Amino acid sequence: MYMYLPIALTSVNYLVVMGLGLGVGLLSGLFGVGGGFLMTPLLMMIGIPPTIAAATDANQIVAASASGTFSHWRLGNVDFKMGLYLLIGGFVGGAAGVQVIKILRASGGADFLIKMTYVVMLGLVGSFMFVESLNAMRKSKKADPAAAPAAAPKQKKGGFFAALPMQTYFEKSGVTHSALVPLVLGTFVGVLAAIMGVGGGFLMVPVMIYMLRMPMHVVVGTSLFQILFTCIEVTFLQAYSNHTVDFILAIILLVGSVFGAQIGTALGKKLHGDQLKILLSIIVLAVTVKIVFELVLEPSILLSYAGGH
Amino acid sequence: MKRTFMNAFRFFVTAAVVFCGLAVLPVSAAQALTCSVTPDSIPITFFYHGAQLSVTGQSATADDLIVTVTSEPIDTVLKYKEKVGGLVWMKKGTLEFKDAPRVYLLHSTAALDRILGLVERNRNLLGYDGLREHIRIEDSAGNPAEDRWFDEYLKFKKEEKVYDIQEGSVVRQHGIDGNTYQVAIDWPYQAPPGTYKVEVVAVRGGTVVDRVSTSFEVKSVGMIAALSKMAFEQGGLYGIMAVVIALLAGLAVGAIFKKGGGSH
Repeated sequence: MYMYLPIALTSVNYLVVMGLGLGVGLLSGLFGVGGGFLMTPLLMMIGIPPTIAAATDANQIVAASASGTFSHWRLGNVDFKMGLYLLIGGFVGGAAGVQVIKILRASGGADFLIKMTYVVMLGLVGSFMFVESLNAMRKSKKADPAAAPAAAPKQKKGGFFAALPMQTYFEKSGVTHSALVPLVLGTFVGVLAAIMGVGGGFLMVPVMIYMLRMPMHVVVGTSLFQILFTCIEVTFLQAYSNHTVDFILAIILLVGSVFGAQIGTALGKKLHGDQLKILLSIIVLAVTVKIVFELVLEPSILLSYAGGH
Repeated sequence: MKRTFMNAFRFFVTAAVVFCGLAVLPVSAAQALTCSVTPDSIPITFFYHGAQLSVTGQSATADDLIVTVTSEPIDTVLKYKEKVGGLVWMKKGTLEFKDAPRVYLLHSTAALDRILGLVERNRNLLGYDGLREHIRIEDSAGNPAEDRWFDEYLKFKKEEKVYDIQEGSVVRQHGIDGNTYQVAIDWPYQAPPGTYKVEVVAVRGGTVVDRVSTSFEVKSVGMIAALSKMAFEQGGLYGIMAVVIALLAGLAVGAIFKKGGGSH
């Protein structure tokens, strides 16, 4: 039941680790989030040092998001064009965010700011999605119970976005935007994700739904596509520069997560967009509450190894 | 002249040998302290989850025994949490614990404070009070930190199962082979690979009268050793391997689940 991890230098019950992988992979396939904001603290709870938990999590997300992207691509749910623009923006934003964090750390008190940004962002995104999807579900019930619910929200004509140059049609998503919009939004999420030390899936998904007006199911597939590339980069860099990727741990996790991602994708087909959004918002809000409790209650042990978020 | 000198020299050598022999005699008669550890090498394999160590030896009947298993002292940097703005608990900075062993396991024949006084315990680094005196704690600016951080350090290490004291766990036997002792130690899997020192101290009348030590090794072997070596010596290749295998596993499982069809 136990396996020794050569980099984390600890022994874990592989059934527990596979179970964690399965659970987080399921969320990944269902909502298009990497699940780092859940997995890293869970790994730390079973005794994995924080830096190794974060880096190894990125490695297993490569497997889960590859599995999820593949299935969503089959279902026609990946907008590669949009994904590519967001990815380019995300890379630029990630690099900029790392510099921002260096400046913040040098000025002192950065950790407090980072933690607060994290809590506020999670809380806002979760609450907004919850209220919005609840309203949408009520409206669709009142209007026509038999109506197809997954239709993309109507794009507003005119306005600032429409006046921007480089307008292009995104076929899979059925929306027209300036190429600058996903580039800038990708950069924005990249900066925030780097500051908060997370992959950014839970921020990117709402950005795609509410700002890029993409249909929920295309959002999930495209987000996974983008996460796949981000995590490939993170895994390589962490392994190369910090030696913090535990390959054995990643393998055990991914055995669970790739199957979880498939189950999530299959489950997602049965739910409609607003149900998915409301479920994701509940998870995001639950994580927010957990972090708030961790911040306010006195920890039982006041010392820890460096790293993690 | 030369002969007289040689005779005098022989006399002094003989006298010295007889004197030393007499001095040693009571201890020999009381049985010399010995110790051995089994196994003397613990291999870390794929399914390693700690090990069972046995420390055995011979000792004088009347002596109390203290067995310690420790690693070379190192400087450990840890992050600490404090309340910020009177409301939230945050990681505030780092503390350096200097000259602290990574592992400290102590077993004895009876309660430590009954066997040995505080001064003698501290002098011989036996027990947590001795460690408290020995380990220096500094903040990132090099200033000495408050004493309460040692208690937190102890809590942290005990949680990791690498610091532990078990009083009364050393078992004695008196038989035809003499007076023997034995202690079974649960070796924690959290202890990193390295060489560890086992020391047995004999205490009589509140003073340390004898000590003996040995060592054992905890070492990664096979695939665990190979992966660890590759991760540190060929980080780039290790990273590529981790990415490629994750990608292949993800795509393979994606291909197995062929039930897709029709988008929403």
